[in-house]
This record gives sequence, C-alpha cells and structure tokens, in this order.
Amino acid sequence: MSDLKLRVKDMIIERLKLEGMTPDQIDDDAPLFGDGLGLDSIDALELVLGIEQVFGVKIEDEAAGLKAFKSVQALTDFIAEHTKA
Amino acid sequence: MTAQSADIPAHLPHRYPFLLVDRVLEREPGVRVVAEKLVTNGEPYLQGHFEGRPLVPGVLLLEMLAQAGGFLEAASLHGSAIFLAGVQDARFKAPALPGDRLRLEVHAEGAFAGLMKIRGTVSCEGRDLCTAALLVKRL
Repeated sequence: MSDLKLRVKDMIIERLKLEGMTPDQIDDDAPLFGDGLGLDSIDALELVLGIEQVFGVKIEDEAAGLKAFKSVQALTDFIAEHTKA
Repeated sequence: MTAQSADIPAHLPHRYPFLLVDRVLEREPGVRVVAEKLVTNGEPYLQGHFEGRPLVPGVLLLEMLAQAGGFLEAASLHGSAIFLAGVQDARFKAPALPGDRLRLEVHAEGAFAGLMKIRGTVSCEGRDLCTAALLVKRL
C-alpha cells in the first residue's frame, strides 16, 4: 500500500471515529458513500475538514467532492494531484 | 460590522419564547459571531427546571450557540431556518443562572454541500459554561 494511501486511510479512520477498523479493511476501490463505507453528508464535511487539515488540500465544491470521494484510490489520487509542487 | 444593529427578528426566524439571542455584538459573516443572551427569572423554562433551583437547561445553551451561528450567514434567515444536523464534543462546565449575561461566541470551521460546522462557547464573566461543535444545515 502506498504511503499516501495509508495516511489517507488513517485520516478517514481517525476523523470519522471508525473504531476497530484497520486500514487494510478499507477496500481501495469501494465507494466511500452509499454501498461502500456507507458514509453520510456529515461524514463528508468531516472528511473535507480532515483533508484540509492533514494534507492541506481544499475540496472546493460538490463537483470536486464527487470526484474525490469515489473511492480511497480516487481520494489518494486527488490529494497527490493537488499537493504536487 | 457591529450589529446592535442586527434587527434580530428580521434575521432569525425564531420567536418568543424560543428566540434565545438578545444582542449581536460582533459579526463577521462566514467567520465569527459574538452575541449575548440575558437570562432572567422570567424565562418560561426556568419555572420547572428546576422548581426552587432555576438553571438553564444544557440543551438550550446548545440552541443559543446554534442561533448565534445563524448570524454567520450573510443573508437574513427569515423564512429559511437552519437546522441542527449534529452535536459533537458538548461539555457543560458550569450552570447558567438567572441574572447571567451569557456571551455566545461561535466561529465557522468549514462547510461542504450545504452543511456547516461551527464551534462555540457560552461564557459568563470570562468563565466558560459550555463548549461544543455543531453541524447545521440550511434548508
């Protein structure tokens, strides 16, 4: 697992208080909302705040969120893309 | 913008006996609001909470912070209330009593998809009575 992806999973677990869950239990490609992790709109706001705090990346609007929150893989790619120097 | 101004009933849809903000002292829309609520013995809920020992219910301190949070919105909320979607990390450190001038201080932590997270403190004479994070949604 890439280092960044692991940090993304750790952030998700900590920010959303998914107690007892480990990074390898989160499927890279499963959707974060709906069927996958089953997150809701409050979780989405928490993730937006967490991503900004931990990675310094802003998710500006719902369109960006739709793209970034497709899966852990998509979110990792989104963060990598927006933290390039 | 200072807002003694704030024509409070024009801004919030809440009314007696559930309008829990008396004055807006400082207001930076989208960032920070400081408001006041003066607690008197005439508050209807103090009659039974509790008989002979009036103190403001903790949930109403949260409601005060939520209403103060309404002034973070730039535009008037008249007719379109904001609703509580969540309460996190609420702590009640000391009771609010009749005669207290409560300072309600809130700041916006972030927003996404119509939800806003605010963090607030109710204090009286420099002493924190209640702190909490609230999630509010404008419908």
